[in-house]
Amino acid sequence: MNPLIFTTILMTVLLGTMIVMMSSHWLMIWIGFEMNLLAIIPVLMKKYNPRTMEASTKYFLTQATASMLLMMAIIINLMHSGQWTITKVFNPTASIIMTSALAMKLGLTPFHFWVPEVTQGISLTSGLILLTWQKLAPMSILYQISPSINLNILLTMAVLSILVGGWGGLNQTQLRKIMAYSSIAHMGWMTAVLVYNPTLTMLNMLIYIMMTLTMFMLFIHSSSTTTLSLSHTWNKTPLTTTLILITLLSMGGLPPLSGFMPKWMIIQELTKNSSIILPTLMAIMALLNLYFYMRLTYSTSLTMFPSTNNMKMKWQFETKRITLLPPLIVMSSLLLPLTPMLSILD
Amino acid sequence: MALVHKLLNGTCILRKCPKPSVASYPFLGTRFADYCSSSLQKPAPVPGKASSQRKTEGDLQGHHQRDVALDITCPEEKPEVSFDKAIKDELKNHFWRLKDDIVNRWIGPEGRPLHEVLLEQARVVWKFRGKEDLDKWIVTSDKTIGGRSEAFLKMGKNNQSALLYGTLSSDTPQDGESSRSGYCAMISRIPRGPFERKRSYDWSQFNTLYLRVRGDGRPWMVNIREDTDIIQRKNQMYSYFMFTRGGPYWQDVKIPFSKFFFSNQGRIRDAQYQLLLDKISSIGFTLADKVDGPFFLEIDFIGVFTDPAHTEEFAYENSPELNPRLFK
Repeated sequence: MNPLIFTTILMTVLLGTMIVMMSSHWLMIWIGFEMNLLAIIPVLMKKYNPRTMEASTKYFLTQATASMLLMMAIIINLMHSGQWTITKVFNPTASIIMTSALAMKLGLTPFHFWVPEVTQGISLTSGLILLTWQKLAPMSILYQISPSINLNILLTMAVLSILVGGWGGLNQTQLRKIMAYSSIAHMGWMTAVLVYNPTLTMLNMLIYIMMTLTMFMLFIHSSSTTTLSLSHTWNKTPLTTTLILITLLSMGGLPPLSGFMPKWMIIQELTKNSSIILPTLMAIMALLNLYFYMRLTYSTSLTMFPSTNNMKMKWQFETKRITLLPPLIVMSSLLLPLTPMLSILD
Repeated sequence: MALVHKLLNGTCILRKCPKPSVASYPFLGTRFADYCSSSLQKPAPVPGKASSQRKTEGDLQGHHQRDVALDITCPEEKPEVSFDKAIKDELKNHFWRLKDDIVNRWIGPEGRPLHEVLLEQARVVWKFRGKEDLDKWIVTSDKTIGGRSEAFLKMGKNNQSALLYGTLSSDTPQDGESSRSGYCAMISRIPRGPFERKRSYDWSQFNTLYLRVRGDGRPWMVNIREDTDIIQRKNQMYSYFMFTRGGPYWQDVKIPFSKFFFSNQGRIRDAQYQLLLDKISSIGFTLADKVDGPFFLEIDFIGVFTDPAHTEEFAYENSPELNPRLFK
């Protein structure tokens, strides 16, 4: 694509999310969502083939439906409160519809079906933008309306998302689908603690974005989209193999890596609010996630996977420029000792 | 001839059919049954009916003698129709498959451990060893648009292969809108999971299609369709040619997936895209070489494998003049 046009489109994506995060008028927020959606479509279809077209169509349809539901909730709220300012949602119906709309945008169960299909259909770079940047806007709105969200619905969606994210990712050999199911599960963790302590949602979001960025950068670096091609990285770049191991374990939430921090804080917060069964269930279901990350590390890093001699030298005709990979790796694995500094987020 | 006579009598008595007339014997030799009933196996007698056989033998002689083709269900014998039983069986079947699905999820992708799936370098996807293997295929011809080609599928000798045979006729149907005709195709059914959920094949670790066929020298086209949810993509497929030799020897045809070219609604497009192997829905063989007459194709099995010597990703280039949109 023409670099100038591509820059304009990316700036529009950025602007859309910024408008959503910084507006106090409901209509501006909706406009921000629409700008974001319309501008991200050419980004998703950057490498055109029929599969990308199908994935972009599915993304557009689900997100447009979510925007319509959001608009309906905004108007019901306007009817009952008489004002457009985003404070709390005054009507329970509007609150439920808005929660569903934002869940659809985020990919929470039961609106998660589009996430693996769309992520699988697009290129790795577009998938990266989809699973990280696109989560910021809906999460910021959930943060702002968190006092008036129906707790039962939100917690049900959260727990089901963790379960579906773990169960669905169990037998995937396609890396993009694995990242999609991992995204569903992490969104579940984030929304579970939203009503109790929204700051932890933001913390989880930050650490999730860092880890997902790192993972995608490593996949782009080794040009691998399946488990099998990832398992040949020990031949090409053994260092990448080690980094994949560390990042995947961090995503699974193992101490002493940074991925453990949000899970620990969330379980602590939920227990402080006299909720015992829920965090137990969540922690158990996080093991499903860990299982398929471990499977990936087993074939990639922990074993020297057999390959035919030709596979050893996988030619890459262009050198991949990976921006900021070392700091990302450090931040996604070594941040746990900084946990006492979390008080700055309040 | 005597053997055929004996077999016929045996078959008809067991099925309580009237004896076929003598005049029908010459016709029976040329009467090809359709693919679902082409074996000469005698059906096993149902225990409940064994006792009534002797009674009915006497009645058979007095029956009006009719032309009866081999293995077609006798009109007197009515199959048991029980709606409740059928529904119950169907539900039980689907729940059983759902349970298998859930249990297989614990084991690994496609019900096998992950390391086994990752290390696999060759896989037989379709083989023809029995009737149930033929049920996975659909045979079509231009009869659907009013043409006169015929195509049938039956098991080959010793149940070791499938035989697709028939007659191609390029007479156009006189309906005012078709200008071309004369094609026959054999397409695999889309794999289904429990409750008829659509499934797809994941062949992303393989790079070549392997077919063991024996043809009659005609050029066939191999078409692969991808799994899609969008209606417009149902017309898109990836094709390549398969030239059969037509000898008594089996032919191993290896087609790398990088060679498949893209076509939409039957027309090859200027903009060519690579066949992505992670969601394959069905494969098909088409014959449309404008030569009228009989044809046959015997298929032993269809498989996929990894050819380590084949490193090509995609055989075709897109041209900036024809498709500037792809190069922007």
